[in-house]
Amino acid sequence: MLEVPKSGVLVHDPNVCAGCGVCEVMCSLYHEGVLGPALARSHIVRQPFTTKHGHNICRQCSSPGCYFACPLKDRAICIDGRTGTTYIDEDECTGCGICVDACPFDPPRIKINVEKNVAFKCDLCKGREGGPICVEYCPFQALKFASKNER
Amino acid sequence: MAKSYGWAGKVLQVDLTNEKVNKVPTTNYRPEEFIGGVGLSAKIFWELGCPKVDAFDPGNPLIISAGPLTGMYGPFGRGEVCSISPQCYPDELFTYSGFGGMFPAKMKYAGCDGIVVLGKAEKPVYLSIHEEDVEIKDATDLWGVDTFEAQKVLMNDEPEASILVTGPAGENLSRIAVILNETKFAAGQGGFGGVMGSKNLKAIAVRGTGVVAVAKPDKVLELTRTIIEENKKINWVRLMFRTPYMAPQETKEKFAARYFEKHYGCYGCPLQCHSIHYIPGIGLSGVSCANWLWAPTFSIDPKEVWEANVISQRLGINTFEGIIGLPLLLALSLKSGILTRREIEEDIGLPTPKWLGGTATNHEFLTVLLHKIANGESPYAEGTPRFIEYFRKKLVCGEKLVDLYKELYTAWGYAFHHVDNLGSALHWATDTRDPVDSCHEYKNSAPETMEHFGLPPYANYQIVNLSKTVYEGAERVTAWVQDNQCLKNSLPVCEFWSSVTSFYNPPEMDLRIFESRLLSAVTGLDMNVDKLAMAGERIWNLRRAIMVKRENRTRENDTLNEPYFKKAITCYGGTATGLVNGPIDKAKFEALKDRYYELRGWDVTTGWPTRAKLEELGLKNVADELANIGKLP
Repeated sequence: MLEVPKSGVLVHDPNVCAGCGVCEVMCSLYHEGVLGPALARSHIVRQPFTTKHGHNICRQCSSPGCYFACPLKDRAICIDGRTGTTYIDEDECTGCGICVDACPFDPPRIKINVEKNVAFKCDLCKGREGGPICVEYCPFQALKFASKNER
Repeated sequence: MAKSYGWAGKVLQVDLTNEKVNKVPTTNYRPEEFIGGVGLSAKIFWELGCPKVDAFDPGNPLIISAGPLTGMYGPFGRGEVCSISPQCYPDELFTYSGFGGMFPAKMKYAGCDGIVVLGKAEKPVYLSIHEEDVEIKDATDLWGVDTFEAQKVLMNDEPEASILVTGPAGENLSRIAVILNETKFAAGQGGFGGVMGSKNLKAIAVRGTGVVAVAKPDKVLELTRTIIEENKKINWVRLMFRTPYMAPQETKEKFAARYFEKHYGCYGCPLQCHSIHYIPGIGLSGVSCANWLWAPTFSIDPKEVWEANVISQRLGINTFEGIIGLPLLLALSLKSGILTRREIEEDIGLPTPKWLGGTATNHEFLTVLLHKIANGESPYAEGTPRFIEYFRKKLVCGEKLVDLYKELYTAWGYAFHHVDNLGSALHWATDTRDPVDSCHEYKNSAPETMEHFGLPPYANYQIVNLSKTVYEGAERVTAWVQDNQCLKNSLPVCEFWSSVTSFYNPPEMDLRIFESRLLSAVTGLDMNVDKLAMAGERIWNLRRAIMVKRENRTRENDTLNEPYFKKAITCYGGTATGLVNGPIDKAKFEALKDRYYELRGWDVTTGWPTRAKLEELGLKNVADELANIGKLP
């Protein structure tokens, strides 16, 4: 079996998260040039009557089901050999949706962008100077990047 | 529909009587000229013919709108409710009420810049908006259910929906009922919860499952850097409002340590200026500035303030009226000998706690008063001016009660708020409600800001110290703030965030410089500073045209309650600030109005906008219509 390098991951602190949606707005703006949680990789599950807001995002599995299920493995869904981050190459992805079914989480942390017909998920803002944009903009430091050693 | 940037693209028109839903392209309302929010709503109301109906008539349109910046990162997550207001007094006027929270952004992600509700459903209904589906659904089971519980039930049927709801107060046609989102985000002034109630409309649930496109994402990203910096300057307020800020330091600290849960605010805003607290036995809710005002006046126990808030929010009652305005008036009536404890108990029918000379608990007082309001019981549910009007005839001291009311309620049936300067006074006089957030604009304006715009500094036209009050030039401040306010409530930008301490710092002192850049990047239109400034003026003129057409507004009506010209007014009856304002010199105020109308390009005799001004602003059709009805000077 292929040795998958371990990745860092985004961790969410429900005790301080205000559920404000800044992470969703900045994510959709940075990655898709639009505004709205529908195309954000970060998803807040707002609980206005308890304030225990939930957060759904790719967990960067150490044995990523999506990656192994992808018919175009290492072309559409790839693993960065240096950081271990699982990411999607939009140019290669055909939007078949097999990865969505393979995600072990409910709801799946990979979604399909219907307009572009490609899958999308958090890639920790691969290549972005300054790291994940949601971490940078979160007003309460509720989102943090945990390195592979910290997770 | 063509691809739209910034604007979501459509306005929903819902006719509850005939159960019809129409989707109108936002471009029909010329959004590049009227922007959104208050501007878009005024345009919609004008196109509907400014109906001369009562607030609770099925023909009164309830207009809920967002703006092109709603849903962005920053202080833009707000919306507006515009409608004929049951709270305005003596006449019901077309006015506005801003609200924040999740709903405005989610409404845009659901594809709507606005929702116009007309007619009246046969039985209680709610509106469900999900992608292209707009359904009018049965809400019989939700009628009578409080605002929190109704939202919880609806969230089961409409997963992750954001909900606007009216409470029992609105259902029972209280004139001080709010429209609420979550626990704290309310369109408070205006009494629009009652308008929902009059339509048998319990709630509107939107699921924001779409996106809003922006024209220049890279430019927008770059501009968010400024917002991060501005947020650092203003985020002290979130700490201030998370405690009962007028209470002793020790009380504040204890309260925050024991009960504070989270910060809380509008979608996409880094400030999150409200806060959420949980007190066992009373419950969880949100709070910000004015919610704490009960504390210094009536009770030093923040738990009692908390209870007042939670009951008001659940029942859907405007806290500014129900737990500040009316109780304060009663307390001052007792203090000044206008009312006795016996009269308050027996004639007015309310329990008297210590501050009303009796032995009842605040819990007892609140429970009786707020439930009477929520049950629609007259005169308690009618708002303070109509409450006073009722007792004017019943009580020996009725006339004195009216006099006191007129001091505490500056104009249009709305309670005093920062009328400590001529600019604000003129703004009040020429509006249809309290210009509540913009009142801060006058007071907090930094001298260097005013100098930058060639405007007189606050110190010159304040009316706290009459020896320093200069009337000349005050009209320029008012016109400037009003145009800016129209823009803020249309783009929208949070009025609270964008007070003169933010976005006004040299060299980019003009609010409109940053906003014009951001709006251009979001929409792809070339919205330079001059165009944006003109849009603000256009919106103010259209609002004025609505007043003239529908409400027979003339120069004579542009005034404050008469005590403001006769005596020194103590702010909030001296309970909060101890500051004494005025009196305003009536003759000088009339001369100030002359200069204001001239500056506005309006007719000085009537106060009506002229054809020349309206045409300059691209409002030729408005001028034609006013000419048709004989109201063009």
